[in-house]
Parts: sequence; structure tokens; C-alpha cells
Amino acid sequence: MASEGFLGTAAPRYADLVLLLEIAMGLALLIGAVLARKGKFRGHAWCQSAVVLLNLAIVVLLMIPSFYVHVSRNIPAKLGKAYYALPTAHATLGSITEIAGLYILLAAGTNVVPQRFRMTNYKLWMRSVLALWWLVLLLGLATYVRWYVPGVFRK
Amino acid sequence: MPRRGVWIAGAATPIVIAALLLLAMPTVTANREQSSTATAKVTIDNFSFRPQTLTVAVGTIVTWTNGDDIPHTVVSDDGVFKSKARDTDEQFSYTFDKVGTFPYHCSIHPKMTGQVVVH
Repeated sequence: MASEGFLGTAAPRYADLVLLLEIAMGLALLIGAVLARKGKFRGHAWCQSAVVLLNLAIVVLLMIPSFYVHVSRNIPAKLGKAYYALPTAHATLGSITEIAGLYILLAAGTNVVPQRFRMTNYKLWMRSVLALWWLVLLLGLATYVRWYVPGVFRK
Repeated sequence: MPRRGVWIAGAATPIVIAALLLLAMPTVTANREQSSTATAKVTIDNFSFRPQTLTVAVGTIVTWTNGDDIPHTVVSDDGVFKSKARDTDEQFSYTFDKVGTFPYHCSIHPKMTGQVVVH
């Protein structure tokens, strides 16, 4: 039996933990962006890399299994319901964002990506991914509320 | 109608009636059994099982109906019964054949708990 959460909703503990971690990571990305504006590029690189990699671990270990069990079997049949539509939008946009984040990480921080596949406009890429990241975060928050907060969407 | 035909018809009618009665008997018995089986209902509403504690006699079929707009499960704490996720208005039934207390919960929302007391 899953343990009860600690945020006072109907969520299990792991869902509460993931929510808090994701909010913290969203804020960390904003701090990382401020570091870049201040010219502290090393700190910026460490901060953004840590967030992208930690998020990848959470996605693989917790979000994908949960999506498979609770959502994937009901799409596209039940996409009309917010319960399934919100996590589907969150998963779709989130996958694109995480892949884009990993691409920036590899292109800007390593020599793995061949020169011809590297971005030319770093700022545009990074700002776009940051904006997408927050949109995905808000979709994740909406999913949490839809799934675990009683009374908000009563029939 | 010739005399022989009347005789055959007269003999055949009770046989046909007897055969029809025989065919009908198992149905009547089955219906009698069905109507004597006790049933009880639990409603899932706004993230809670209602009633939270249900007391029933042995052999009662308990049916849970999800009245919420999101899926829930009905899972016995001791592994006695386990439903798949039930969406809005979907049901899950279990027949309680043994005396005891059977606590259960929703595996998606661990705070949702209930119990069935069987005597």
C-alpha cells in the first residue's frame, strides 16, 4: 500500500515529493538563468545541467511508469476528460522539453554533438526551453490538482 | 380430425407440458437462488467510500460504484480482492464468503480507506 502524502491532498507520498521537486527545479532553472545574465556561466552550466539530469531520472523512474499504468491505456478513447488530457499534454510537451534540454546540455557543454548539428543561437534555444519548461510545470501542477485534490472537479 | 390423430394429440400434450415444466424448473431454481443472495452497495463520492464501514452477512455480494469524475480502485489491504481502475459510474463487485474484517483502500489515493465487516 502506497504511503499517504504530506501536503494534505489525496496524493501518495511519492506524488507530493515529485511535485515539490519539480517546483524546486523550475525555480532553480530561473536562478540559473539569472546566473547567466550576471556572467557566471560556470555556475549557470552546473545549475541547468543538474536540473535537466535530475528531471530525466524522475521522468524515467516515476512519471513514465505512472503514465503507462494510469493514462496510456485510456488514450485516445478518453482524451476528452481532463484527467487524461492534462497528463497527456504534460507528457508530450515535457518529452519535447526534456529532449531539447538534453540537446542544449550536450551541444553547449560537450563535444558530443557534431558541429553541423549544433545550435547557433544559444540564447533563443535556452529561453525557449525555459519558457516551455514552465509551461510543462504548470501542466504538471494542473494534473496533480485534477488527480489528487478533492472537491475541485466534483462531478 | 381422424380418431387416431386425436388420440396421439391427447397423449402428446401432457408429455409436451411435462417437458416444458422440466425445462423451466432449473430457471425457477436459479431465480430463487439469485433472489436469496444478499447484496450491498458502496458508493465512491468525492474521494471517499460511503459507507466507510459496511457490515454484511457471509455470502453477500458487495458492489462499489464510482460516482467521482476520476478513476479509483478498490484494493484489499490483505490482498483478498483487487479491482482495476474504475472510471466514472463503473462498478466492481466481490462476494464475501468468509467471516472477518476486510479493510481496503484506493491504490491511487491512499487516504481513501474503508472496511467491510462480514459476520
